[in-house]
Amino acid sequence: MGSLLSNLPALVFLLALIGFCVFVGFRLGVRFLIRRLAGLVFVVLGVSFVTFILGYLAPGGVVYAQLGQHYTVARGDQLRHLYGLDLPWYEQYAHYLNQLLHLSLGTSWLNSGQTVFQILGIYLPASLELGLWGAGLAIVVGVPLGLLAAVRANTRFDTAIQALALILYALPTFVIIPFYDLAMVNLHSHGLYSLATSGWDSLDQKIAPITIFALGIFAYYLRITRSSMIEVLRQDYVRTARAKGLKERVVVWRHAFRNALIPLLTAIGPALAFAVAGVFIIEYLFNIPGIGNRGLQAITSQDYPVVQGTVILLAFAVVLMNLVTDVAYGFADPRVKTSS
Amino acid sequence: MKVDESYDPTPPTPDRWESLSTGNILPSIPPTPGSIIDLGPLADSPTPTTQRERDEQAETVVEGQSISPTQAALRRLGRDRRAMISMTVVLSLIVISYIGPLLYVHIGPPLTGAGPFANQTVVSTVYRNFTHQEQTLTDQPSSAQYPLGTDAVGRDILARIMAGVTVSISVAAMVVVFDIVLGMVVGMLAGYYGGWIDTFLARFTDLMFAFPQLLFAILVAATLGQAFINTLGPDGRLILVSLAFGITIWPQMARYVRGQTLQLKEQQFIEAARATGTTDLGILLRHIAPNLFSIVVTAATLDIVGIIIGEATLSLLGLGVQSPGSSLGLMISDGANQLGIQYTEVLWPTIVLAVIVLCLSFVGDGVQDAFNPRTKD
Repeated sequence: MGSLLSNLPALVFLLALIGFCVFVGFRLGVRFLIRRLAGLVFVVLGVSFVTFILGYLAPGGVVYAQLGQHYTVARGDQLRHLYGLDLPWYEQYAHYLNQLLHLSLGTSWLNSGQTVFQILGIYLPASLELGLWGAGLAIVVGVPLGLLAAVRANTRFDTAIQALALILYALPTFVIIPFYDLAMVNLHSHGLYSLATSGWDSLDQKIAPITIFALGIFAYYLRITRSSMIEVLRQDYVRTARAKGLKERVVVWRHAFRNALIPLLTAIGPALAFAVAGVFIIEYLFNIPGIGNRGLQAITSQDYPVVQGTVILLAFAVVLMNLVTDVAYGFADPRVKTSS
Repeated sequence: MKVDESYDPTPPTPDRWESLSTGNILPSIPPTPGSIIDLGPLADSPTPTTQRERDEQAETVVEGQSISPTQAALRRLGRDRRAMISMTVVLSLIVISYIGPLLYVHIGPPLTGAGPFANQTVVSTVYRNFTHQEQTLTDQPSSAQYPLGTDAVGRDILARIMAGVTVSISVAAMVVVFDIVLGMVVGMLAGYYGGWIDTFLARFTDLMFAFPQLLFAILVAATLGQAFINTLGPDGRLILVSLAFGITIWPQMARYVRGQTLQLKEQQFIEAARATGTTDLGILLRHIAPNLFSIVVTAATLDIVGIIIGEATLSLLGLGVQSPGSSLGLMISDGANQLGIQYTEVLWPTIVLAVIVLCLSFVGDGVQDAFNPRTKD
């Protein structure tokens, strides 16, 4: 308990979470809330179990990695006993669940002295910054372009935008990044202004990762907005509004626009899944000190408490986002009360 | 079409207020055999009103003969130029990568200045092997012997690219087969029978959705990678990567199949089959499975793109195929380190990967438009 409550942002977040749950309980019914929370618990349990089993089945190199040259059989056994690696798997898992119930994610094996919460706390801000700015940029650019493309459907502008979106959507980020690096190295060698290709301190180091991260999500949102808006513009009430003699601008902005945005809420889920995958690659290739990078380090160095903590955190975030999306959808479209 | 012989050609005298009609002035035309158009067997189905519906109906009749919806969809796909060009490009790349090396290693000029002291001469069957390292000829630009140059340890880049493409395709093929088989079996059972299979599928899908696919693959590859190599040899890692992707990708396919099965289950032809005594297994295999074709093909094509990207990502992070094996992601990762020395090392694999992924995406889009025309704008 102490490790969690001493971290102020985490405390604020926890309170906001509880407040959100209470709010949902009032608006959408207690049964809905309980069903969703049960789903959340189930997912966290399942995810932690899968990660635990994988860690258990892996050859235990962490002891050798930590002791290195000083490895003796006696010291190895001592360390194994300290980590609880000599217990049968169900005992180890029970111990881990017990830890979880006390809101602790354990202590890192490689950086002993730091709890997993602390480590995550150090690396999470960079990832959050990258993710939020990237998603924000993607939405701010993607949604208006999608609306424009829909309003001018099947014109040259529309075809061009669609082609661009398809290419950006299909290309993985680690195809774009080498080209970017090439361009920057070229510019630099000719003495021209160039952006950095790694690090996360100054603004010009941050622009490129955020933009490249936003590219994929931008294309996805553009496509969804466009098809949703086209669908809305086909509806009868839009025809009625035009027939009434309303200006085209009013028809589009006051009537069609709002209804077209509703499916975007359901698009948050897949966008988040894409974002989680993208975070790993971008942080790895740009050397950003975020959760993805740290998680990868933990995986390759077999620091399983950190690995499990990262995985649980990510799964928790995804399930939470799905819940928020469902609730938001229930507000935006009153016909949908709750969805399972 | 029958003509009613009792039809009265002259209508009754109209009322004064309806004298604006022609009334008795012009006799109405009775229906004659020549004026009756036989609408054929489609006369009883609802008349298509929009152009799209007329087009779809017209597609089901080719040269007077009716074709199945699958064949109509394939023809639609054939008319999609972008998809056809992309498919040609991808297929030629695949053929070149599998068959090319057999030819490529024999047609190169002998290489002088090879060996650890740069004084030997080797034939192309040696130096164009994708694992052969020529330590004195690292980071070379393109030449007659090495059309795309060499990498940081002196291996032929073109040979490695071809080997890398075969790896990507092999992994994709293995995973897609696994995906289709498992997805169809579980999806059909869950949709047809419901019950605990359905609940299990729903819970398992929730779990898999919460677990990011890439993360799961990374975990599996990192933890179990060595064990697989020890038991299955150097290809063990490939099989492990395929397994990891397969496990995370089949729930979505199963969901699609389940949804479609639920719809099909209520159709009358299933009821008729049951009435004639067809067993459940017979219904599943002969009636439901063939109708799942369109949704399975669409989903599988889109999955292939994701798998190729995923395998390249894993190799890029150093957890997939590792040296001396070759993979496009691995080449990009290695080449990125040599950016200042020889930029073509990262350029070629990136271009090849981009072309493959883009073309497969276009094909996937075309397949989606062809098999599900209503999702098109």
